[in-house]
Amino acid sequence: MDEFDSLVNLEQTFFDAGYKDGHAHGRIHGLIEGRALGREKGYEMWEELGYYEGFASTWKAHLVFQGTEDGRITHHLNGLLELISQFPQVNPSVAQAEAGSEVDILKLLRNIRSKYKLLCASLGIRPRLHAADGSEAAQEPVDGAQVKSKKKKSIWEVNDGEGEDEEQSDRKQGQPQTLSF
Amino acid sequence: MDSPWDEEVSNESYNRESQWQKIASDFTNAGYRDGITAGKEGVLQEGFDSGFANTGAPLGREIGRIRGIASALLALLSKGSSIPHSPSTTNELRDISFKLSEIRFSDICPPDLEAEAHAREHMQAEGEELVMDSEELEDRKQVESLEDMLAGMSASGAGRGKPQRPSMDDFNVLKSRLEVVIGQMGLQIHLS
Repeated sequence: MDEFDSLVNLEQTFFDAGYKDGHAHGRIHGLIEGRALGREKGYEMWEELGYYEGFASTWKAHLVFQGTEDGRITHHLNGLLELISQFPQVNPSVAQAEAGSEVDILKLLRNIRSKYKLLCASLGIRPRLHAADGSEAAQEPVDGAQVKSKKKKSIWEVNDGEGEDEEQSDRKQGQPQTLSF
Repeated sequence: MDSPWDEEVSNESYNRESQWQKIASDFTNAGYRDGITAGKEGVLQEGFDSGFANTGAPLGREIGRIRGIASALLALLSKGSSIPHSPSTTNELRDISFKLSEIRFSDICPPDLEAEAHAREHMQAEGEELVMDSEELEDRKQVESLEDMLAGMSASGAGRGKPQRPSMDDFNVLKSRLEVVIGQMGLQIHLS
């Protein structure tokens, strides 16, 4: 009995030692992989918002230059710029958690997009292609959110969505595909 | 002198030794696999948030803003703005705008030094290249290389190898060219 116990303990000791090393290695990979994804999503999201911001600021500067800055257009421009300034520059799901559930980031994004299109319409300008093309605009920055929305989670939580399915199957096979070691 | 007896002893002890090692390595490996998954999952979100806030969002905002400014200026000129400008201004803006649109995130994204260092460790330990990108990023890379291939095919110049990708330096050049145009027009616009 004692011998059996000590054998089990020994197995556990080996397991634990392996686990400790694996955990440290997994952390490195998790941070790297998470960072790569986060960079990409943050870029997509803010490239779009930055575009609206630059566009609106320029138009505003032009109205100032012409001395025609009080009017419907100025109103649209200020509204759009104001909304963009409210948008968090950190992962929206984190910002949302911090600000409480009152701030609906996806709603804010939809709002910004429609304000931009409205602005373009009143200026008689064709809106930017990828924003005008609903499929792409909806897919690009929000596709993370779409994957997640099936699970009723907030935006950009990398722990669910595609990654999870992959990792669950990994666990079953006991052989993470995305990691080589 | 060797006797059969001696041989048997050493064989047996060798077997015991290797069995022992097998148990040790089996359990260590099982622990390692569980550990790597747990360790990874625990920090994915942390990595994502830092990549989003520290690199992706600020860089995207900068590029997007410049693109937005360039395209608004073009729109203004095409609508017959009263701003003083020459025909060459429009051409210059078109060129800036086009070159801006060609820039991809992968062209200007700063290297992840930690990732590179870790990939080198893997390289040294296993002698093979490490694929660390998730499926999603892998897909994008494939699309981009396909785009490069098509661009290379449509380019009439024969023998053109890999197309030269723009860099952050190129972006900064475009940015200062835009600044010149804005100055000529006499507008007050902050580029960043």
